[in-house]
Amino acid sequence: MNAASHIWAGEETETPWRFRLQEMAWRDLVDALKHDDLPFVGLWCDGTDVHALFLPDGQPLAATLALEDGRYPALSPARDISCLYERRIYDLYGAEGMWATDVRPLLDHDVWSSSTPLAEHPGAGGGQKGLIHFQPAEHMPQEGDMADGWGPATGGMEPPLHVALAMQEGRIRAAETVTGYAHRGMELRWRNSRVEDACKLSARVAAGQSVAHQVAFCLAVEDACKEQVGPEIRLLRVALLELERICHHLFLLADMARLAGARLVASGCMGLREKLLQEAAPITGSRLLMDVCVPGGLSLRHATQMGDMCGRLCEVAERDYPALLALWQEYPGLSMQLAGIGKVTADLLERVGLDGPTARAAGWDCDGRRMMPGYEGIWRFTSGRQDGTAEDRAMLLLEEVGESLRMLDEVASRIGLTAGGSVQLSMQDSEGTGMVEGPWGGILYWVRLKEGRVEQVFARNPSSAALLTFEAILPGHQPDDVALLARSLDINAAALDQ
Amino acid sequence: MGLIRAVFDAAFKQDMRRMKPVGPRWPLLLFHVDTGGCGGCGMELQALRYAPYDMEGAGFGFVTSPRNADVLLITGALTRAMAPVLEAAWQAMPTPKGLIAVGSCALDGGMFPENYTVLGGLERRVSIDLKIPGCPPAPQDVLNGLCSLFGKQAVPPKEAETSAV
Repeated sequence: MNAASHIWAGEETETPWRFRLQEMAWRDLVDALKHDDLPFVGLWCDGTDVHALFLPDGQPLAATLALEDGRYPALSPARDISCLYERRIYDLYGAEGMWATDVRPLLDHDVWSSSTPLAEHPGAGGGQKGLIHFQPAEHMPQEGDMADGWGPATGGMEPPLHVALAMQEGRIRAAETVTGYAHRGMELRWRNSRVEDACKLSARVAAGQSVAHQVAFCLAVEDACKEQVGPEIRLLRVALLELERICHHLFLLADMARLAGARLVASGCMGLREKLLQEAAPITGSRLLMDVCVPGGLSLRHATQMGDMCGRLCEVAERDYPALLALWQEYPGLSMQLAGIGKVTADLLERVGLDGPTARAAGWDCDGRRMMPGYEGIWRFTSGRQDGTAEDRAMLLLEEVGESLRMLDEVASRIGLTAGGSVQLSMQDSEGTGMVEGPWGGILYWVRLKEGRVEQVFARNPSSAALLTFEAILPGHQPDDVALLARSLDINAAALDQ
Repeated sequence: MGLIRAVFDAAFKQDMRRMKPVGPRWPLLLFHVDTGGCGGCGMELQALRYAPYDMEGAGFGFVTSPRNADVLLITGALTRAMAPVLEAAWQAMPTPKGLIAVGSCALDGGMFPENYTVLGGLERRVSIDLKIPGCPPAPQDVLNGLCSLFGKQAVPPKEAETSAV
């Protein structure tokens, strides 16, 4: 009996793809997952139940278990990535994952005004004053180690994150991250909010991936309402997603080049990005593409000019992109420096379940656009990278910029002068999911609607798996490489902490 | 956080311990701390470092240690975990020093008002020398705001050039 069969054998719920399991069946599911590659999306809690979501063949399949005395059998013995979700659930709800592989706090470092703030009866706040203390992982302190660290305030522009380093002979022996600095309590803010407000919150989970979060949220709401938007809206959303991907990749490439000492290359990346933004922002209404989507439609300043805008973006990039590509490839020492660091192996990717450009640069064939509505006849597989180093990731990003520009060119003629229109949604008490291939991998939203409002949201993004990957590849590197490696894996504390 | 008291004007007053000339040869050095936001303001600050925005020509630069900074530049909604980090950065800075809040979150929490983990911006907690609102403010808005400290206007951006390429 495989893992999916254990879920299908559960009790049916009002949601066709979610099944309620008893505790023994849940334990059997965990055992089955140890020998089954069923794609795991995430684990979340609503105070009464825990829910585990999987994606067999790209379709949602969820298992639900009622908490018993505030406890549930953890999934982390079968899926490493689940330990981050279990630690999060404990911090927010106080629900304990039995046999979890890691039970240290993830978000709550005794500085909140209340502990387990989302539980029915939140506890008293922690008494920690001053800088937070954290409990090191078992492998961290060893005799002969020198302690070092990076963040949370580096003077850089990234959201706050601390990386504790155990050093030996000038190199990193072991590393662990300390998160929670950027936790804003999104779950609580989403709870009982209007869908329009919830969408605006989604736009601000992580800048640079804003459109992907908005579209995934909107798809989830539309799925819950059993509605689908028309082909024009889909195409306009594709245009926004690809524009965001181009800008995200150029931003990341610029930062990688700057940290690798290639300031000229960084200027080239940011210069092209700025040109594109100056064309796009007057039409979309936001440089970082925030608040451009609403459930059932779009919220653009000049929607009818989107087709023209896509054409102009391609004209702008046609002049500069080939030269940028050549500069990156020919810049003395840049490729060699990046090729020597940050190698991500297939074993590691499989263990943590990371998708997106990191996996594609290591030879994996994974791109959610293959199945996304709106991409039919537009998307095509392009990756030829295999080695998984920082250089492979950089070259893949550059290739994807070119590919996204080609897609914008195709979309431009199809969009024409359409404004997309909108679909009137009739809110009903139900659940829905929506998935988008964001700039750094799959972003999935699960939304439960109740009485015309959003009752609960679960948002999966690649940052959790990227964090485990980051911790795993740091050993053996020099401490000076930490910032560059973090950028090459797009470690984003804002998305991670939420 | 209640201890923070920004005294930015001190940088240019006659009777202070450290006099600092104003101008491109003596840039005002900024130490950025994201105190817990979506990262959008940080992205726009990063854009400010490159063409077509002439931040350094206008007399500003970013540093990687608060010990070298004249001004603490804050973005994000100020989480309870980041408040002591902010305090430590402030204490590490030499006097005279100032505080600039960039973005709606840093000012009043913006989309992230006070809750169990967020204090909800600096506005009601400390004295802020310069407020630059927006969600997020565009790089040119940030540069205009910074230049207003010197009572001058920022040079409008030229057409974005990738002459380096």
